[in-house]
Amino acid sequence: MTNNYTHEKSGYTMTTVAEEAARCLLCHDAPCSKACPANTDPAKFIRSVRFRNIKGAADTIRTNNALGAICARVCPTEKYCELACSRSGIDTPIDIGGIQRYVTDFEQQAKMDILEKGPANGLKIAIVGSGPAGLQSATTLLEKGYAVDIFEKNTKPGGYLTYGIPEYRLPQDIVDYEIKRITNLGANLHLNTAIGEDITMDQLKADYDSVILAVGASEAKMLPMFDGNAYTESAVDFLARVKDAQGQISDVPENAVVIGGGDVAMDVATTLKRLGTKNVTDMAYEEFDEFRASKKELAGTREAGVTLVDGYVPTAIDGNEVTFKHRNIDAEMTIKADKIILAIGQQVNTDKLGITTEHGEVSFIGYRTDDPKVYVTGDIAHGDKTVVWAVRKGKEVAEEIDNALMGGNRK
Amino acid sequence: MIKKDLGIDFLGVHFENPFCLSSSPVGNCYEMCAKAFDEGWGGVVFKTIGPEHFKVDEVSPRFDELTKEGTPFVGFKNMEQIAEHSLQENLDDLAHLKRDYPTKIVIASIMGTNEEDWVELAKLVTDAGADMIEMNLSCPQMTSHEMGSDVGTNPELVKKYCEAVKRGSDLPMMAKMTPNITDMVPAAKAAMAGGADGIATINTVKSISNLDLDKKVALPIVNGKSSISGFSGKAVKPIALRFIQQLRVAAGLEQLPISGIGGIETWEDAVEFILLGSTTLQVTTAVMQYGYRIVEDMKNGLMHYMDEQGVDHLSDLVGLANKNILPAEDLDRDYKVYPKIDWDKCIGCGRCFVSCFDGAHQAITWDEKTRRPSVDYSKCVGCQLCNLVCPVGAISTGKIEMKPGREGKIEDVDIESVRLTH
Ligand SMILES: Cc1cc2nc3c(=O)[nH]c(=O)nc-3n(C[C@H](O)[C@H](O)[C@H](O)COP(=O)(O)OP(=O)(O)OC[C@H]3O[C@@H](n4cnc5c(N)ncnc54)[C@H](O)[C@@H]3O)c2cc1C
Ligand SMILES: Cc1cc2nc3c(=O)[nH]c(=O)nc-3n(C[C@H](O)[C@H](O)[C@H](O)COP(=O)(O)O)c2cc1C
Ligand code: SF4
Ligand code: SF4
Ligand code: SF4
Repeated sequence: MTNNYTHEKSGYTMTTVAEEAARCLLCHDAPCSKACPANTDPAKFIRSVRFRNIKGAADTIRTNNALGAICARVCPTEKYCELACSRSGIDTPIDIGGIQRYVTDFEQQAKMDILEKGPANGLKIAIVGSGPAGLQSATTLLEKGYAVDIFEKNTKPGGYLTYGIPEYRLPQDIVDYEIKRITNLGANLHLNTAIGEDITMDQLKADYDSVILAVGASEAKMLPMFDGNAYTESAVDFLARVKDAQGQISDVPENAVVIGGGDVAMDVATTLKRLGTKNVTDMAYEEFDEFRASKKELAGTREAGVTLVDGYVPTAIDGNEVTFKHRNIDAEMTIKADKIILAIGQQVNTDKLGITTEHGEVSFIGYRTDDPKVYVTGDIAHGDKTVVWAVRKGKEVAEEIDNALMGGNRK
Repeated sequence: MIKKDLGIDFLGVHFENPFCLSSSPVGNCYEMCAKAFDEGWGGVVFKTIGPEHFKVDEVSPRFDELTKEGTPFVGFKNMEQIAEHSLQENLDDLAHLKRDYPTKIVIASIMGTNEEDWVELAKLVTDAGADMIEMNLSCPQMTSHEMGSDVGTNPELVKKYCEAVKRGSDLPMMAKMTPNITDMVPAAKAAMAGGADGIATINTVKSISNLDLDKKVALPIVNGKSSISGFSGKAVKPIALRFIQQLRVAAGLEQLPISGIGGIETWEDAVEFILLGSTTLQVTTAVMQYGYRIVEDMKNGLMHYMDEQGVDHLSDLVGLANKNILPAEDLDRDYKVYPKIDWDKCIGCGRCFVSCFDGAHQAITWDEKTRRPSVDYSKCVGCQLCNLVCPVGAISTGKIEMKPGREGKIEDVDIESVRLTH
């Protein structure tokens, strides 16, 4: 069993996927489908697999979810589709993500081309940010006949798909292929173009019929205590750097301390282990009973051999020595590490975009801002901060724009 | 998204797709057929309608299933007869369906006890607006020997009743044949001679599915006793396909129009029936197990298949396989093909060894240390049993060899076609 940074665990074969699909109860009014935030309709695609119609399963996934192959790998299914699965009444839920992965891998191998562009309606939409929310809104708008330009400040598209989620969970090949489908459909990608810097919002508003802000929470939160500390790096900077280099970084630490208790912290800790760091200690603010990381991620981190310590906050830093105190009991711990990685959350930067956010999202529910031309979607809109929710919000914002611009002209 | 026209003409009637409910409880009343149409079925064969004077009296319970190693519904046994609703209710439902679904095809299944019944029923369903008639000559569990498969195995009666139906109606008509017969050809020829326009087959196969070992009686148990009755579902597909092939290659029946029935549940099953000569398809058991929704994947899968085959008209596929199924004596017996074992895929379970030793020719040797099988070419006859039992697909067809002393060249063997499973 390889356990390195670029090795994704293998998926189902034709035989084993049929066995897993055979466990599905083919429920009436299927709860799994209702629980998928993006309406990917697992009950329908599993039924297609069951009845040996893999291409039909791909049709269902792709038309409902432009990032179906990505969601298959990164959805916290235990909170969504699999949480609702009736099979739990017998033993364990159907491995919906795994089946979705088999189908979308098949779709890619068979070179299926499922998405269809709608007849052009002459309207143009600008999307700021090429993360999952931007990509899905682009797809839905293209299907409806809009012309779409996506502006991305980074050199590669994908947002946290490309610069966050580690390779062993989400191979970059998969991300690239999904994005290629969307550019093939007609999305124009403008990379290295920061809105607010290279092009102003006013300019975009003048040039397009609507503007969607899908900028995510792309900056790291830091603690003032660590300012200027040479051993400290933010989680997202570290993960981006490692993914970009496909694991080939020159400064793999001997030992490291990760600060944070969410999925991002788990990704950092596991990534370090896979890169060869001997001792990785994760210090979490939360105690285990209040942990934020998903069960899957937490289990993966434990399996990788990370030392997890819960309930501690950093109180002092001296060079490469960090001191932590327990939140509730009288305990203190000092750790010396070659590398200190802060995974205490990400924040939104909308300084030059004309909107305000609080605690990482806009203050209203929905997508339309006070400016009738400007919409928000993705992590900065109200709702869960996950890829599958970004897909849902991408579809919904596109629908809302279509209603606003074309409302009377469609049946 | 795939989009292909699945439309096809059968006995002069246009079906928007070939998928029909077969006559049975799945098409028992207006609401059921309407729901089936809404979910995408192209036609329905309404539950068999009998004459007013034949009183249907069903048993309870009336079903049993055959399972194998955890798989339910491998086959399905039923003891049901014909429609329980009154004749008038059934006729009203046919008319209502046709009114509400003018583009869908409504087929009336009828069954009489004598010539007068058949004429009368044919008239009634024609007046009710049915598009087509199916004669049920094949139910194996009727309480009257004037009805059902006892009639269908008697060519004279088949011909006589077909003629009666044709006297009562000028609608296109198919005769539904029973598989409880050694050779279906004489019955089918009799039906065609009697004026039938096509054949529907198969109805259920006479069976005993399981026994209760304590009570020592077959299932289902009806107050302590049971009966031989009809078997359907996936397990009967091979039997249905065989009959359809035999009909299509019988002298004089080469272009016989067939509505194929028996164990259809996936698009692949459907394609098999079409390739062997079925123009439309009928389904009951899979609908009873899973619901009308199964038609979605049958239609979509069939469209993808047509797309892969580069076919635009479904009718182009009908009967393409008939010519490739020959009598056993006409097959090429000059070569054998050895299994090829891929040790990288092999997980060392030894099933191939067990099956080859106990069920074939002791031609697989087993290395106890490495837990890997190899083929002993001096003993292997090329039966490929090992290939079929391997759980991971590590065994495929490999080297082809001419048998000693045979004419012919290996190059002439179509290696691509040497394939066992899906
Ligand atoms: C390490 C990590 C692991 C995660 N793992 C999972 C997981 O397993 N499962 C899951 O469901 N979710 C996971 N998430 C969360 C998920 O990635 C986010 O919810 C999702 O990416 C949000 O999508 P988005 O499109 O709103 O924003 P992002 O993915 O953040 O994309 C925003 C894009 O906008 C660009 N941008 C920002 N400002 C500008 C500007 N002014 N001009 C031009 N471009 C701009 C950014 O460069 C970025 O490319 C993870 C997140 C991280 C950080
Ligand atoms: C419960 C049940 C009732 C049936 N009733 C009828 C009937 O009334 N008339 C008829 O022609 N066939 C009847 N059949 C036979 C089916 O129409 C069909 O020919 C057979 O079941 C094989 O197809 P399947 O494997 O798709 O079920 C019945 C079958 C079942 C299982
Ligand atoms: S998209 Fe995600 S949540 Fe939805 S069905 Fe697929 S794996 Fe489950
Ligand atoms: S809830 Fe579970 S068992 Fe039911 S249809 Fe969905 S995956 Fe299958
Ligand atoms: S049956 Fe297949 S997996 Fe098992 S020993 Fe034989 S070749 Fe190997």
